[in-house]
Amino acid sequence: MTQSDLPSLADLPRGYELPPACFQLSAEDVRRYLNAVEDSSGAYGQGSEGPAWIPPLALAAMALRAIMEQVRLPAGSLHAAQDLEFRRPVPVGASLRSRSRVAQRSEMRGAVVAVVEFDVGEEASPSPAVIGRATVMIPPVEGRS
Amino acid sequence: MNTEGIPPVRELSRRVTQEGIRRYAEAAGDYNPIHLDEEYARTTPFGGTIAHGMLVLAYVSETMTAAFGRDWLASGRLKVRFRAPARPGDTLTVRAEPRRSRQVNGQAAFEYGIECRNERGETLVSGTAEVTVARSV
Repeated sequence: MTQSDLPSLADLPRGYELPPACFQLSAEDVRRYLNAVEDSSGAYGQGSEGPAWIPPLALAAMALRAIMEQVRLPAGSLHAAQDLEFRRPVPVGASLRSRSRVAQRSEMRGAVVAVVEFDVGEEASPSPAVIGRATVMIPPVEGRS
Repeated sequence: MNTEGIPPVRELSRRVTQEGIRRYAEAAGDYNPIHLDEEYARTTPFGGTIAHGMLVLAYVSETMTAAFGRDWLASGRLKVRFRAPARPGDTLTVRAEPRRSRQVNGQAAFEYGIECRNERGETLVSGTAEVTVARSV
C-alpha cells in the first residue's frame, strides 16, 4: 500500500481507532536513535550489550511512526503541539504495542485540527509506559471547503 | 514565585544539521520530504528543510534526563507547542526554568518552564515539563 492509498488524517472522524501496531526495539535500534539525537549521556545503560533501556522519546517516535504507516498526512500538515507522559522505563528488546485514536477533530474554513492520542507499552503489560497526544494542523484542500 | 528547593536543570545546546536530520529520519522512520528533500521543501511555506519536531523534543527530554535520570523516565510529563521550525544550521539552546513545586502522594513534583530557542533568539518550542521524585518538597 502506498501513502496515497492511505486514509487522510483530515478525513478520520473523532473517536476513530487505528489498528494497534506491534514492534520491538533492539539495542542496535536504540543505539541508532541515541546517535541521531546525539545523546551520549549513558542514561539508558551502555554495557557491552548496548543500551538497556529505551528512551521514552524513541517510544513516542515509534508510536507516531505506526500512525504514519496507517494514515496519510496531507502536504503542508504541521505538528503543532505534543503532550507526553512517561510512566515507567521500558527495557530494550521488549515486545511493544502502540494504540492510537483520533481524540478531537475540528474544522474551520477547510483547515482541520486533529488531535491524535496514542499510548505504547509492553504487550505483556495492561498499562501503557508512555502516553501521548499530538496536535496536527492540516491545511485546506484546494477545491474543498 | 518561590522556586526554592527546585533542582536546577542544566541548559543544553545542539547544532542542527541536514545530516543529523537524515540520521533521525532513519532512526525514527519518518521520511516526510519536508525534512529531507530540499527541492520539495523550497516549494513549501518553510522555504527549506526543517528538523523533525520530535528531534527537537528529544533534546528537551535529554536535559530532563540529565537532571533526574530514572525519575524522569518513570514520571516525566511534557506539554509543548512547536512555535517555529528548527532549520539546518541553527544552534538550539534548551532551557528549563524552575516554576513551582508541590506535594503529590508524599512525593515532590517539580514543574519547569521549557523553552528552546535558536541563535537568533527565536522561540521554537515552549511549554512545561514536570517530574515527580521520591522526596518531600
